Amino acid sequence: MRKFKHGLHGDAGSIDFVQVIVGLIIVGAACVGTFQALQFGNNQLNAQMRYRSAISIARSYVEYWQGRIHADSPTMGEMDGNLLTAPGQARNRYLLDRRDPLTDVDDIYCDVRYGKIVAVPNAELGTNKETGKTLTSHFVIRVAVSWIEPSSDKGYQEQNVVEFQGSMVPASF
Amino acid sequence: MKLLERRCGREDGWTFIEATLSVVIMAIMVLGLTIVLMAFREQLDRSWAVRVMDQYGNDVMEELTHDLRNATDVTVRPSGSNTSRIDIKYLDPIRHTILLTSRYRADLRNSRIEKDGRALDPQFPPRDMGRGESYEIVQFTLTPYGTDTPNLLERQDSFRRNEKFLNASWDIRFKLRYNRLAIEEGENNWSVEKEYFNRVYVRNMNLVVQNGITE
Repeated sequence: MRKFKHGLHGDAGSIDFVQVIVGLIIVGAACVGTFQALQFGNNQLNAQMRYRSAISIARSYVEYWQGRIHADSPTMGEMDGNLLTAPGQARNRYLLDRRDPLTDVDDIYCDVRYGKIVAVPNAELGTNKETGKTLTSHFVIRVAVSWIEPSSDKGYQEQNVVEFQGSMVPASF
Repeated sequence: MKLLERRCGREDGWTFIEATLSVVIMAIMVLGLTIVLMAFREQLDRSWAVRVMDQYGNDVMEELTHDLRNATDVTVRPSGSNTSRIDIKYLDPIRHTILLTSRYRADLRNSRIEKDGRALDPQFPPRDMGRGESYEIVQFTLTPYGTDTPNLLERQDSFRRNEKFLNASWDIRFKLRYNRLAIEEGENNWSVEKEYFNRVYVRNMNLVVQNGITE
């Protein structure tokens, strides 16, 4: 019986071929998982950089309209906004992220729109003697920047939107 | 029992082919892992450097934008190699009758932006850069709206704007480049350039507070 047990457990101190292969497969799988996690982290950081750029673009657009309201009054047509303009028009399109510097194919562009510039009345200011309308205290500007994130594992293109709001009074006020 | 012992005994150890195959497979795996690790290490280093650059670019833009928003007057002078020297006048926040000046300029030799003679961020560029790594300021300009823009419609729009708007609307463009030169044979040089842009309307330039608040 002892010899039988010894015979069966004779190679208990060593590793056989199958165990080595299984070990290698497990280590390989762990490495692949680690690299995928690093890649995911890198993609998330890139997405955050794009988000920050989009905020900067939105803020610049609001600054433009604030300047217009303050010093160079917009026309009635301009006050209506451009939400209905066809997407990708040059005026609305800004480069968000160049990505690979060796090619332009993967560049990401964003679309910038602004909504109707709304006059906010303030009853405390009184009314216009000629028109009888309540006087305006300030104007509100809303800007939306949208872009499509590079295709992810989700299988569909994800659209991101950043909205920015500002207000301004004309210098004549 | 002897037959059983002999059969169990034959299971001991490795055959030559098993040993050879194991060594070959392990060698391939280690080689593959090393190559992937080296490539990823390079990718990680590049990614880190780009993020350091991005953080600095955004910091400079935020600081300059904040100062411009509170400015009463701005003077821009060319400072060589696509950079500007920017003088920003603003009211003293405590005594509103005195005008103070902040000066921004690009120190191209040290690749940093200076405000009033001091580096805006003492940590940039990083001191522990590797061989072949460097940052470069490609552009640091403050231009009136529509003067320096890749957008043709903005340029056309600027011709329709009045003087008051154009005198107070400024575009800040700050371009940084990160270079990574090849150290060993077979490697390629790598660089990435990022542009940071902000538009600022300096509202105080069109208000009576330009010369101070006395009441």
